[in-house]
Amino acid sequence: MKEEAVQFGEAGSLVGIVTSGAHANSNQPAVLLLNPGIVHHTGPGRIYVKIARALAAQGFTVLRFDFSGIGDSAVRLDNRRFEESSVDETRAAMSFLHATRGCDRFILMGGCSGAAVSLETAECDRRVVGVIAINFPARADQEGSESHRNHSHYYWNFALRDLKSWRKLLTGQSDYRKIGRAVAQSAKRSLFGRSQESASDQGFRAKLRELAARQTHLTFMCSKGDPLLEDLRQAGGKDFRQLCAQRRVACEIISGTDHTFSSLSDQERLVEAVLRRASVAASVAKLKVQTPELTSSPAGALSSHDRQGFVTG
Amino acid sequence: MKTPKPAVPFYFGSPGRELFGCFHEPSAQDLRRCTVLICQPMGHEYINSHRALRQLAVRLAEAGFPVLRFDYSGCGDSYGEAEQSSLSRWLEDISTAVAQLRALTGTLQVCVIGLRLGGTLAAISGSRAENFRSLVLWEPVTNGRNYLKELLALQKEILRFRPRPKLSKKSQAYMEILGFPLSRLLHAQLEELDLNMMAERAAERVLIVQNATAKDDGDNLKNHLIQTRAHVDHQTVQAPKIWLPTSDGSLLVPAQVLQSMVSWLCSVSS
Repeated sequence: MKEEAVQFGEAGSLVGIVTSGAHANSNQPAVLLLNPGIVHHTGPGRIYVKIARALAAQGFTVLRFDFSGIGDSAVRLDNRRFEESSVDETRAAMSFLHATRGCDRFILMGGCSGAAVSLETAECDRRVVGVIAINFPARADQEGSESHRNHSHYYWNFALRDLKSWRKLLTGQSDYRKIGRAVAQSAKRSLFGRSQESASDQGFRAKLRELAARQTHLTFMCSKGDPLLEDLRQAGGKDFRQLCAQRRVACEIISGTDHTFSSLSDQERLVEAVLRRASVAASVAKLKVQTPELTSSPAGALSSHDRQGFVTG
Repeated sequence: MKTPKPAVPFYFGSPGRELFGCFHEPSAQDLRRCTVLICQPMGHEYINSHRALRQLAVRLAEAGFPVLRFDYSGCGDSYGEAEQSSLSRWLEDISTAVAQLRALTGTLQVCVIGLRLGGTLAAISGSRAENFRSLVLWEPVTNGRNYLKELLALQKEILRFRPRPKLSKKSQAYMEILGFPLSRLLHAQLEELDLNMMAERAAERVLIVQNATAKDDGDNLKNHLIQTRAHVDHQTVQAPKIWLPTSDGSLLVPAQVLQSMVSWLCSVSS
């Protein structure tokens, strides 16, 4: 396994690490790992390093890099919005790998905002053959404090069914103020939350339909313990459910994990899931090149296990 | 407005144990004869403080210092797995980084800035082998046993609001702090760690930067370092603990603290 520090983009201002195995397979798409929020290219808990090394051992060439102003990359001096510059810089990363390693097809992957940039870039660049969106923020404009949402999600989905939590509640060991805030926020969301789809929900659904029609292999990988999972289901609505049922989009839910995969077991299971989905995306991309008529849907070439729309791990 | 030169990322060290570093070239007009090595903290503290330490490096380079930031073995982008980490290995990494910095710049004078455990390691490295010109200890870990208690308390707090993690394949062999494994060896070495027992001088001049809440800790360390014949300055600051996770995932950069360290280094370096 080889790791190389690289610089690309304008004046070499973008910094990244290319990881490749001893037997890098030039037929495989290359994988790009995009910043999760403002965490630099090692990812929370060093998870991007683990993913990159595991993928490189499977023959993938992997680039994890920092967008401008994040991690080791220099700050941009223009006034471009992050939503635009991040897509441009992801495309620059693909061009860099094409120029230096001959890669011409790509799987984009990222957690949280990295997932959002992956999807945006896939829509405007046909070199992208697959997206693995980890804890995709389908409703990034959602109102309410993030920590309150996390607590609320935890109470409703886990603590209610946990004897230990009930014991704490009944013996005065719980944080009643926190519970009160979480309940109030949940009530507010259910009473005054969105009853109708917003423009961003419609945009998301249109994007899904377009990418599925284009046979881009789409996987949404979700932590069971993350409120973003509910946002994804609501924002995706009927289209998302249908595409999953038709196996044109996959949604893999990893149980017992949180937003940042903050335990070693979360990370092990995420790496396993990513390897599985990247391998599927690569085989679909290969088949598309060889026999385009056989791949009426991206999941057309998959095994029965891989064809599952919703997989819980 | 001055545009800082992009940092140059590279790997260095022996084959199979390459360390990742970022070299920040100084602004040509204000070149100083002293180089700066930045020693990072470990685990989640490394992730949370990466942004601030990068900005510190940029400010130092703008003030004329050549600067090297680097990752220890098994941390960040460096080779190796976190499970193999140990204090002894990280001390070797600091020596490798100092040699690399001297080779890059042709300068013998090295100043070191270390945050949390990075400060502690820098101090030990200075007292054992290296002859540092000056040393900034930013919220150093003075007592390993207390540090372990803090880490375990934080892990417990994080587990309160997330689904209970499944048993990891590795969890029998390692303790776990916020998704980072803590090897038995590292745990044992941390238990033995006490900066106030350090016998030799770590650097000619030392600056301790600590939050007002840790003033007693800082005073004890200051008195001890004076006994080792170091010239010690002590600054108490009011700043957030940037190495801790925040509720909204933001990464904090304490601009005033960074500037105060740069100013101190400028005042003690030619």
